[in-house]
Amino acid sequence: MKHHYWEPPIALYLFLGGLAGGILFLSAIFNSFVIPGYAEIFAFPVLVSLVCVAIGCVFLVVDLGQPGVFWRVWTTSKSIIKWGATFLVIAAVFALLFFLAFIGDAWPVFAGLSGFLKPAADFFLIVAGFFGLCIMMYTGIMLSTLKAHAFWATPALPVLFTISAISTGCAAIVLSIGGWPMAGTLENLFAAVAVVEVLHVIDIVLVVAELIVLLTMVLSFLGAGNVTAKAAARRWVRGSYALLFWVGMVGLGLVVPLLMYIGGGHSAASTVVAPILVLCGGCLLRFMVVNTDDRAEIPGENRYYNRVAKNDAEFITRWTYGDNEF
Amino acid sequence: MTRYVMVIDQRRCIGCHSCTVACRTWNKLPLDIVYNPVVTEGAQGTWPNVHKTWTPTLCMHCANPECVPCCPSGASQQDEDGTVWVDPKKCLSCKVCVNACPYGMRDASKLEDRMHRFVRKCTFCRDKRQLDPSAQPYCVLTCHQKARIFGDLDDPNSEVSKIIGSVKTERLFEEFGTDPQIYYIPDLGGKA
Amino acid sequence: MTEISKTSSGLKGLVCPDTESTEVDIHQDGVEMIKSLCYFCHANCGVLAYVKDGDVIKIEGDPNYSSQGGLCCRGTSALLHVNHPARINHVLKRVGEKGEGKWEQIPYDQGIQEVAERLNQIKAESGAEAVASAGGTTRTDDWARRRFLNQFGTPNGFHNALLCWIPTFMAETCVAGWSPFETDLGGAKCLILWGMNPGASTLGGMNGYTDLQKAGMKIIVVDPRYSETASKADMWLPLRPGTDAALALAMLHTIIYEGLYDFQFVNDWCDGFDELREHVKGYTPEWAAPITWLDAEQIRAAARTYATNRPGCIQWGCTWDQIGRASTTGSHAIALIRAICGNLDVPGGDGMPGPSLGFLTDEEMEANECLPEEQKAKQIGSNKFKLTSWPGYQIISDNARRTWGKTLPTEWFCEAHGPSVFKAILTGDPYRVRALIVNATNPVNSYGDAKMTLAALKQCEFLVTVDYWMTPTALFSDYVFPAAGALERPTIVTHYGATDSFMGGRRAIQPKYDRHTDMVFWRKLGLACGQDPAMWPWETEEEAYYHILKPLGLPISNYNEFVDRVRMYYPPLHQNKYITNGGFWTPSGKVECNSSILRELGYAGMPTYVGCCENEIDTPEIAEEYPIVLTTGGGFMPYHHSEHFQMQGIRYLYPDPYFSLNPELAEKLNIKYGDWCWIETRRGRIKMRANVEPEVHPNVVFAPRGWWFPERDGSADLDNPFGCLESNVNVLTSVDDWDCDPMGGSWANRGLMCKVYKCGEFDKEYKKSDTQFSIPGSAKEPGIHMKPSEMKLDREPIPFEKPQPEIEVPEGYEWVWQNNTLYQKGTHFRLDESGWLINPRTKGYHDAYTGWRYDSASECLVDDETGKMYTMEREEIPFLAGVRCYPGQDAPYEVPEQLTWNKEKGFAQLGDKPYVYDPNSGWMLDPETGAYHDAYYGWLYDAATANLVDEATGKRYDMSYAPIEE
Repeated sequence: MKHHYWEPPIALYLFLGGLAGGILFLSAIFNSFVIPGYAEIFAFPVLVSLVCVAIGCVFLVVDLGQPGVFWRVWTTSKSIIKWGATFLVIAAVFALLFFLAFIGDAWPVFAGLSGFLKPAADFFLIVAGFFGLCIMMYTGIMLSTLKAHAFWATPALPVLFTISAISTGCAAIVLSIGGWPMAGTLENLFAAVAVVEVLHVIDIVLVVAELIVLLTMVLSFLGAGNVTAKAAARRWVRGSYALLFWVGMVGLGLVVPLLMYIGGGHSAASTVVAPILVLCGGCLLRFMVVNTDDRAEIPGENRYYNRVAKNDAEFITRWTYGDNEF
Repeated sequence: MTRYVMVIDQRRCIGCHSCTVACRTWNKLPLDIVYNPVVTEGAQGTWPNVHKTWTPTLCMHCANPECVPCCPSGASQQDEDGTVWVDPKKCLSCKVCVNACPYGMRDASKLEDRMHRFVRKCTFCRDKRQLDPSAQPYCVLTCHQKARIFGDLDDPNSEVSKIIGSVKTERLFEEFGTDPQIYYIPDLGGKA
Repeated sequence: MTEISKTSSGLKGLVCPDTESTEVDIHQDGVEMIKSLCYFCHANCGVLAYVKDGDVIKIEGDPNYSSQGGLCCRGTSALLHVNHPARINHVLKRVGEKGEGKWEQIPYDQGIQEVAERLNQIKAESGAEAVASAGGTTRTDDWARRRFLNQFGTPNGFHNALLCWIPTFMAETCVAGWSPFETDLGGAKCLILWGMNPGASTLGGMNGYTDLQKAGMKIIVVDPRYSETASKADMWLPLRPGTDAALALAMLHTIIYEGLYDFQFVNDWCDGFDELREHVKGYTPEWAAPITWLDAEQIRAAARTYATNRPGCIQWGCTWDQIGRASTTGSHAIALIRAICGNLDVPGGDGMPGPSLGFLTDEEMEANECLPEEQKAKQIGSNKFKLTSWPGYQIISDNARRTWGKTLPTEWFCEAHGPSVFKAILTGDPYRVRALIVNATNPVNSYGDAKMTLAALKQCEFLVTVDYWMTPTALFSDYVFPAAGALERPTIVTHYGATDSFMGGRRAIQPKYDRHTDMVFWRKLGLACGQDPAMWPWETEEEAYYHILKPLGLPISNYNEFVDRVRMYYPPLHQNKYITNGGFWTPSGKVECNSSILRELGYAGMPTYVGCCENEIDTPEIAEEYPIVLTTGGGFMPYHHSEHFQMQGIRYLYPDPYFSLNPELAEKLNIKYGDWCWIETRRGRIKMRANVEPEVHPNVVFAPRGWWFPERDGSADLDNPFGCLESNVNVLTSVDDWDCDPMGGSWANRGLMCKVYKCGEFDKEYKKSDTQFSIPGSAKEPGIHMKPSEMKLDREPIPFEKPQPEIEVPEGYEWVWQNNTLYQKGTHFRLDESGWLINPRTKGYHDAYTGWRYDSASECLVDDETGKMYTMEREEIPFLAGVRCYPGQDAPYEVPEQLTWNKEKGFAQLGDKPYVYDPNSGWMLDPETGAYHDAYYGWLYDAATANLVDEATGKRYDMSYAPIEE
């Protein structure tokens, strides 16, 4: 069977998009409801999310067969891909506006612009946060609507991706909060520390939830009737993906950071290593899921594609039509 | 109305791949694109009680295609006669339709210019039928065994209508709800 | 716009997002449709070529041809073939060392001239027989090659004929007088496809079989592999490879001893049946069961099904000719099966077309009379494998001339033994073959013992190749000539002159570049060698084909007209000919159950079992080391012989060689699907990938033929150029004389013993030691250890003493001992008891002294050469103005009263006018001008006005003698 029409750039895009969405969503929640008034501390996390979106978009466009005309994605109204692209753009625009509202603090050149935008900063972040949530859900929903792929076509996948996105967003905020261009005032620092403390707890909950959803999803596939999903789940649980799954994703990506979060107090393990592991785990999850694009086999299809030539076969590369050798 | 469908008689197919080669030759496909693979699991059973059948495939031109609504650019579309096709002028090659197809019948070539790839699929030889509306797809014409039969299901006198009305036919993966329009006459016992 | 250079079609089509359509419009202005034929295998399906501005823009299957519009992978790739970048387009003259791949392109005629000079020099030094020629299949006009070789004076032309039908044809002909090449399936109730897989080799035929099977015909498939065809069969006999002879003999036994044969037919038309019954007594199904790995009941069931569902057909399969020493034994037994069941030449049975009595046969184009007798005797291998070389051919051919009136061609049916020629190149035994012209074949891949063959090609002093591609053979050549292929040449199908049907296709385009057809090559070479231009009157195929067709008397004035209007010529279906003919076309006029021709050649007249050359029963010591049975040589889609590996669109589907083995065996050998494995026989080893599939017996492996890798750099590894040995099954086959069939010379492709093991981490490369050749074949002892003349055959000749004439044989006649009859030498006409000669072809009587034909309508003798007529007293009959005269006789017809009979001159005249009365038309004819005059007044008939003119007065009259007023 032909596999992996979507290659690593798409997996990365899904990860980065979700991550950016998570950062924006959490930032908006905190800024609006938890500790209003310290918007400045989220300037750097939002910048990180902008960078993620930018890199993600580059990967997305690069993966297209005709990158030059990427804008055709907005040609029709129905397709879910179009909605994803739209969410991405709106979230990015408002995140940028939010960020610009604070850049004047560091670069006086932009002071005027920042002064102009600052009154609406909270609003920008709320809009960006809302569309960030949309992005997070979109990445999972998009895959889950492709029902040809048994492993994707489950409602658990959007849930899993959303939880993972928020969780990675947590980790990213923890690592980046309070950075440039925030003014290093005492209030800001206290606020940042408070946010980190809360996020610490939230991420514990999220990691536990992610662990539950992930195991439920994979193990239920393992016991399910769908042959294709079962085969894929078997690959995860005790096949070629087992090492990556158990050691990489479950172990290093979830259980180890969980233990660090719980037992690490304020050590570097808890505040630096654990969030990094969570980020890596999230990334790995996207790669593994995107690569698990098993379709139901038309009897003999695998044998057929196993036998046909590879694109680098010498007889393919050897001759160019129009050139006569003899 | 016209509704093009294909009946594939597996009792006659001997797995010669003529349809595949005729298709790729006359539709000028890049080497790594196969619209209509003829697949088989090989002989099944225990020697000498074995049996072998071949499944000639192609786009199922589903009545309820998965690959059309998911297309963001409107390149993937369906004609009124049921033909599902991709307009290369509109295609982005985002490959969402490729992933949407439960039959794996779409792909973009990797041998073509990196910046100008587009998704290809069987069109029931739409280009050919546009020049000559009575034309048959290449895979049908070239088949020595006459294992592929193409025609209009809405015409009660067409060969396909008669076969579908009188012989037990099967369709692939109906559970996806795609309502595929390729009808197979299965080869059950090795008797033509 | 983006030009996609690597589209599988190879057409320079523009395929890109901006292109509206990929479809070639055949309805545009200036497109001509030409009826052509596919030229990539024997099926020769109909092709319609659409030509614009001298280039084919598209092809399609011809729905009105017998192939019903079908075209397989190979046929569909024809345009790719024409334009493939690796095609040879110019004459290449070697400028580097042999195999180095350095060439100079020279003009065609210069190449021909240089080759001719060298050939003539070799002929002068070593005799014409030092020049040999290897041929290929269905890409050539073989008669043209033989026409050259005969005039040049060498008997050493050869093909892979011995693996493909020819020994079978000869054995069948010894039994019944011709080979049942055509089947009348429409009326058949049962069809045996024996060692034949039309599902992969002749798809057009397979379609017909499937249709007929749906209509009730039973199909029995005999094949060790669960082939495409077996998958559709009613009954499948999966015998051990190479044991066809045992199966055939056991079926023969069953049919005879269960009384299933056609009593009436055997009684009336078979000779020696009682001997045969006695002879096959021991060949019971129980005897055959352990040999064939079939149940005795299975064998009986097959025999009963065939014998009780009459009429039935046994389709010829190549397998019979590829078993080595047991080959012709099997086909001989099969010939007897169909004969005693009364299935020969009957409606619904195996047809006996005979040579074409209408159009010219290939034999009539070969100029065999040019080859001197002493040269015939020098044909390599003819002292050993007599059935398919000059000794056997001469007997069979003379018999065919006496019975049919025409004979089979020498191409294919009378050839040197290919492997023996290669051995002669290497050993100089029986004499050194110094030059080899290879046309449309790559012997390394298609002849047995590839290592020895490759060594011979390397060592050959002067090697010339005519081919489409740079094959391993071409690589070592001194000159490589480009060949025009399908679409670039007209194509005819006459089945080597062995049937009486004729199908034709036109040339779609003139050959591209400096390519030429093989006929043009041989003609030019012949003329350059100094052959008589009168012997090469045809400059193009079209002219030659028209010459062949002319005797049919069709209303055509050139070959292309034939294709446009007729295309498929079948003579009126004539069955039961043996009844109207008064007998079969054997020397005795009967089906010879104990063949007199075979006995005369020193062979057994009845099939006597012999096992294939390596098997568990006869050679247990070999089976111990090589426990697995190997079968090779079978055709498989999408390739044909060693061809089409360059076709990317095809190769993409089947890029690597896969051999089949049963999952049970694979498990035992720890082999998984797709693993590269070694297959090794006593003679060498090759590697292929494993197709683990229960399509073969758990102790059998099936390996596909022909593999080489044209995409590689041939000169990079001269031990294994283009990888032509590493996956080539012919490394495994045997051409040692004792493994070859002593009758037909077939070498051993099937039923060999081998071992199979996975390519190890340190043993996955093909090494130099794997490429070393040996005579006799052995991987362990490279080198020449035995001269071919020291090699023994599997069976000693059986002495046969031809009976002496019981009657006095007059000068110019020969006596045939089988039917105690005299035949005139030269004409091969039978001398009848009445004293007349009888022409077998027309059944007409000829005068024994002059050879003139008796014309019963006008009761006279006719010399067909001059057209002159003679009286029964052999006096020339005078004609005046085309009217027969009877000088000195009374009028033999009623003379109108106004005329007078001129007894002296023998015609009726009007008064003293010089006109001659024609009794057939009633007009008077002027011997001077041929003009018509009326028989009452002698007035001249004026055709322009339909008037009569009185020349004396100039007056005109109408046809009722009424004057016409001006």
